[in-house]
Amino acid sequence: MGRYIIRRLIQAIPVLLGATLFIFAIVFALPGDPVEALAGEKRLDPNIVAIIRDQYHLNDPLLLQYWYYISGVFLHGDFGKTFAGVSVSQLMAGKIQVTLNLALVALVMEAVIGVVLGLWAALRRGRATDTAILASTLLLISVPTLVTGFVLQLWLGVWLKQTVGFEVFPIAGATQGLKSYLLPGFVLAGTSIAYLTRLTRTSLVETLRSDYIRTATAKGLSRRRVVGRHGLRNALIPMVTYLGADLGALMGGAVITETIFNLPGIGLQLYQGVYLREQPIVVGIVTILVLVYIVANLVVDMLYAVLDPRIRYE
Amino acid sequence: MRVTRGARIVAGTALLALAVAACGGGATQSGDSAAGGGDTPVRMELGEPQNLLVPSNTTESEGAEVLAAVFEPLVNYNENKEAVEAAAESITSDDNVTWTIKLKPGYTWHNGEPLIAQNYVDAWNYAANQDNAQGAGYFFGRVEGYADLNPGEGKEVTTKEMSGLKAVDDTTFTVKLAAPFSQFKVMLGYTAFYPLPKAAFGDDGKVTAAFGEQPIGQGLFKLDKPYKKGTDQTVDMTVYDKYPGTKPKGWTKLQFKLYNSSETAYNDLQADNVDIHDALPASAIASAKTALGDRYQDQPDAGVGYIGFPLQYNDEYKDIKVREAISMAIDRKTIAETVFSGTRAPADDFINPAIAGYRQGACAACTYDPGKAKEQYAAAKGPAKLELGYNADGGHKEWIEAVANNLRANLGVDVTVKPFEKFANILDDLDAKKYKGMFRMGWAIDYPSAENYLSPIFSTGAIKTGSNYAGYSNKEFDDLVAKGDQAATAEEGLKLYQQADDVLIKDLPYVPVYFYRNNSGYSNKVKNVKINLLNQVEWAEVEKA
Repeated sequence: MGRYIIRRLIQAIPVLLGATLFIFAIVFALPGDPVEALAGEKRLDPNIVAIIRDQYHLNDPLLLQYWYYISGVFLHGDFGKTFAGVSVSQLMAGKIQVTLNLALVALVMEAVIGVVLGLWAALRRGRATDTAILASTLLLISVPTLVTGFVLQLWLGVWLKQTVGFEVFPIAGATQGLKSYLLPGFVLAGTSIAYLTRLTRTSLVETLRSDYIRTATAKGLSRRRVVGRHGLRNALIPMVTYLGADLGALMGGAVITETIFNLPGIGLQLYQGVYLREQPIVVGIVTILVLVYIVANLVVDMLYAVLDPRIRYE
Repeated sequence: MRVTRGARIVAGTALLALAVAACGGGATQSGDSAAGGGDTPVRMELGEPQNLLVPSNTTESEGAEVLAAVFEPLVNYNENKEAVEAAAESITSDDNVTWTIKLKPGYTWHNGEPLIAQNYVDAWNYAANQDNAQGAGYFFGRVEGYADLNPGEGKEVTTKEMSGLKAVDDTTFTVKLAAPFSQFKVMLGYTAFYPLPKAAFGDDGKVTAAFGEQPIGQGLFKLDKPYKKGTDQTVDMTVYDKYPGTKPKGWTKLQFKLYNSSETAYNDLQADNVDIHDALPASAIASAKTALGDRYQDQPDAGVGYIGFPLQYNDEYKDIKVREAISMAIDRKTIAETVFSGTRAPADDFINPAIAGYRQGACAACTYDPGKAKEQYAAAKGPAKLELGYNADGGHKEWIEAVANNLRANLGVDVTVKPFEKFANILDDLDAKKYKGMFRMGWAIDYPSAENYLSPIFSTGAIKTGSNYAGYSNKEFDDLVAKGDQAATAEEGLKLYQQADDVLIKDLPYVPVYFYRNNSGYSNKVKNVKINLLNQVEWAEVEKA
């Protein structure tokens, strides 16, 4: 098991290098001049443009620029500076924390609500509860995050505060600890909750039709044990796969939620980085996201072995 | 055992969720009790400042807003839009070339040192030096010796000082300009002209990063702690005890809350979670009038939006009659009220109403007259196809489309709308003479003088060094501006600038389309919020409600 994990982590190195070079090249290839992008609608003095270009090695060829960057990251642990002179490491550290908090809150909500609703629907298959859950998840999937975000912010943030007189859910910002993340976490998890509910339901319904479930029931086991031990456990594998992959998606896809709820996370930073051609920011954030995917996948693979003893890693 | 593990995971996650909710509950109470306390901060909405907080490198509104609270400018602007001395005791000149600036006694830096004239000299020399790559360095372009500090790309700067800048004694310094400029005093309220304390400079003579995070000013507010860009969500400051000017009554703490969405900040304003929002989103204007009532404010803002013509190399627009017809075909009122939901006003002059010198209705061809437009366009044989370029990144699509529809309907021509990725791309194509169509243009002032709407955009000299993207050149205009610069008094100067403005109105190198407006709102917790013509709040006037 230990050797397997080490092997997987070593495999991750070329993936990381490849991903960073790829992203670096893409940002490099974007049209427009990063220094011009700084200036907005006025032109910077040509002298100043030349000096900034020189400072940030913008006149060097792509591979050399990449070398400056990647050697800084690996040899000095330095992710470089933005054009405004702010250290990217410092910039990312605070923002990744926010996005990670948000993604984890969303993931927990997704797992709890998704599995509970899915289980409920599967056990009441074909009845009113099942239909209601299916219909509401369909609604959740079809309404964009932007809409759920603003509507919930207005109802549970502004309107509720004005009605009850105290703040139930913060409207904006990440300054109130975990409470700040509840509403945005739910908004972010919205579609994932719906997908996971449906996935759980389908997976469980299928498992419950298996021969071994019939055998277990025939043995005289209680309904709880049959569903819990034999049904849900076997149905968990696709759900765990989905959850693992979703953590990365939640982190990378949080830009809208972060914007609506004014959470200073990496989503918006990434967007601004692309917009302003700030390679160090874009590559830094993408590197972190790639790492999250790699680790999440590894954890998922480990969980397979826990859930299904037939799976062994050497 | 194994069976229950599955159940335990579910139970554990549920517990975690409960814990999350429980923690949240605790936070609410502490948050609310804090809000009920005595000296709670006045909170203002702010976008994230683009750079570190160094005055000479701050050319955008958000950083300037923070710095304006921390620094006292040499001049402020009164209700008649005139510059009045603030940190300066007097600013005088006999010939508009050599200006003598005397400082008011009593100002000290937040670290206790006294404010001296040398602080201004140091700061301005630092700002103007090309080696320091300061974004606002160009503000000193009129000072004698600026060229020595800016010899050009790749050339070495051989001096550290502008020859025109001299500290006479601790409270007096003189500025010698390269050419007479009657509006010099008006410029001095801008961020770029703030002084810097000795403590701002490191051993290498550059402004330190630590100063950029926690600037030491000589103004009303002192920063509580360094502002860590990217991590901090607020910028907190407290009234500086030794500030000699007027202090706000009944409160001492100011907090800027960073938002990345104007809509979100508006929602927070409605819930009284933020007190002042000075840039309400267009989507909120309609509801803000009813939701906020008296707490909604609408006042002119100094920006202007134009349609420009590439006069330099496209002869199709050379006939003034064609440009006039295009101007008359644009329904500015509908665009301002419908497309912009009232966050803009129809333009009727080249000078904005926020600034002294504006004359209502000065631009006759800016009045919507589709009948006359069509007639005149046909008579002048205007081009049958028009092209209208804009940058797609700034929310300009709607109004540009509206203008295009106006032109199609009223002139009976074919109009293609061409999106450019960024404004810089339009400029590149204009420079390369690749793009032949009309283009969107906007102007936000650098200093509140009528001159700023004229010379930097339309003078012959600005084709190379300024923002004259039309390539417009008219000797009469250049002469009038130069005369205005040399006028004995600011009032005389203004008259000459208005004459120069008349030349523009006759020639229409650009067509002014709209004036910006400032739409702000404030919460139930504050009152008497006044926003000055640099779009900065007059903090001493703000009171708690």
